[in-house]
Amino acid sequence: MSLAVSERVAIKAEGVDWRDRIYRFYNSQAFVAFLFLLIPVLLLAALKIWPVFYNLYLSFTRYELFEPPRFVGLKNYKYVFTNKTAFQSIINTLLFTIEAVPIGTALALIIAKLLDQSIRGRVFLRTLYYLPVVSSVVVSAMIWRWIYSPQHGLLNFFLGLLGIPPQHWLNDPNLALISLVIVTIWGSIGSNMVIFLAGLQDIPRDVIEAARVDGASSLQNFLLITVPLMRPVILFVVVTFTISIFRNFGLIFMLTQGGPFNRTNTMVWEVYQNVFGYLRLGRGAALSVVMLIIVLILTLISFRVLRERQGA
Amino acid sequence: MANQSMRRRSQGSFAVWEARLPLILTYVFLIAGAFVMVMPFAWMVSTSVKPDREIFGDTIRWIPTELDLQNYTDAFEQTNMPRLFVNTVAVTAVAVASQVLLGSMAGYAFARLQFRGKMLIFFALLTTMMVPFEVLIIPVFLLIRFFPLAGGNDLLGQGGTGLINTLGGVMFPNFVSVFGVFLFRQFYLGFPKEIEEAAIVDGCSRIGVYWRILVPNSKPVMGTMALFAFLWSWNDFLWPLVVVKEDSLKTIQLGLSVFDQEQGTAWAELMAASVMAVVPVIILYIFLQRFLVSGGLTSGLKG
Repeated sequence: MSLAVSERVAIKAEGVDWRDRIYRFYNSQAFVAFLFLLIPVLLLAALKIWPVFYNLYLSFTRYELFEPPRFVGLKNYKYVFTNKTAFQSIINTLLFTIEAVPIGTALALIIAKLLDQSIRGRVFLRTLYYLPVVSSVVVSAMIWRWIYSPQHGLLNFFLGLLGIPPQHWLNDPNLALISLVIVTIWGSIGSNMVIFLAGLQDIPRDVIEAARVDGASSLQNFLLITVPLMRPVILFVVVTFTISIFRNFGLIFMLTQGGPFNRTNTMVWEVYQNVFGYLRLGRGAALSVVMLIIVLILTLISFRVLRERQGA
Repeated sequence: MANQSMRRRSQGSFAVWEARLPLILTYVFLIAGAFVMVMPFAWMVSTSVKPDREIFGDTIRWIPTELDLQNYTDAFEQTNMPRLFVNTVAVTAVAVASQVLLGSMAGYAFARLQFRGKMLIFFALLTTMMVPFEVLIIPVFLLIRFFPLAGGNDLLGQGGTGLINTLGGVMFPNFVSVFGVFLFRQFYLGFPKEIEEAAIVDGCSRIGVYWRILVPNSKPVMGTMALFAFLWSWNDFLWPLVVVKEDSLKTIQLGLSVFDQEQGTAWAELMAASVMAVVPVIILYIFLQRFLVSGGLTSGLKG
């Protein structure tokens, strides 16, 4: 692989030698960096950087795959914000977020806080809470479809025990979105909990201990000390959780296909429909750009918040 | 502390219970929550081994009166499970190997080497972490569709179908992950420089240092990367859905989703197929979960 020291000393002693020069080039930082970065950087440029700009370009064109893209100005953006179905998808995504994020985040924080004590079986309980994160969205969706099944589903059976009549969860326009929200919260508690558990490590124990000695109850301790100190981590979870909802395609594909009556038609589903359903790539691209802008704003907020946390 | 517990003990059983109440409530809450988390999986397993008359009976039976493994053989044959497994394992193995190798190489370059344009390239890649794959699906699809010299395409990507409907097309976006590059960079930045310097003094080349010193010592970070790459690739759904049309090329998630639409209400077979799809992941997770937790903080930043 490399020349032995004695050999190189010998070469140097002989004076200028082509082998020495080649070795020096081969061993230069620039050459090794070029070698190591060439493939990863080319791939990422093709898959992550070029697509952002090409997507932006496509959003100003009419493109149906078989003819070259034709420039149409802002027509696609006008469509996104005025067409009832397309605009509804933005509203639905926001509704989905508002219904899932506050409850999902609060539950994950409470569970993390309770698991952050030295109680018996805590590792086992953490594993159980994390299980839905490991399962694929297709499998999760399949299981929940069966649980939501109107005739023989588990959920309607439990409700029957309470005297509530069976519901058509995924086919009921008023319940479909909530049904998806329940699955989303169930599937995300584990990953949010892990972030909270990491954040809780940074809270100085003596602060909480001091408050406890001064007579603060566990609840007061949680609300008045833990939550304010965890504020940056909570914001981070809220943002990443929101982004994951924006990206949530599989659940909608498997459970509702955007229905009933477009009630679960979110942006990512509408993009998919426009591109692979109606072959209107320009419209899909415009909606993708809107999605990307929202995601970028949210990510920048989360980076800022993280930096604040590190500075504190 | 000792004083307190002595006082508690002397105050009789009510005080003992009062002191323990928070712990008891904690357990009640945590176990109830864990039950909700696990119940769907238990119900999946329960349904998968039941005969139909118990699935569609009037009461809920968690433990079936008789084991019916027929559902598994049916699902195995109807989904062509061996084919789905082979495709998924191939796609996942390539993704894992490639993301570990390319991630560690790029991570080493960013952590240890000085070269022109380093910060520019680094921040360009950092920025791409903010862009979720879902919003780039159109251009990446076009890239695969018009891939030069593949699937009957000419040099300009015209004339054929490119990498659409090939396993290569499924693999292509998963060769490298930005998350991985940063994971390795972070790890190598914390690696003691002295060992490398000693090796260089002894006449080892830079590539030799990387290959003989850094690679053998990066097992934890490679484990984390491999586990994430495995989960992403094994569970991936949108991209294979877009690329693959032919049954013989489907991954397990894709096969499962189509099975769902075709079979309608054959719940026992559906649940049996789901069990088969999720068991490898759960086994791997249980053995390797310590790697997941260490990298878990950044899991929301998948790129």
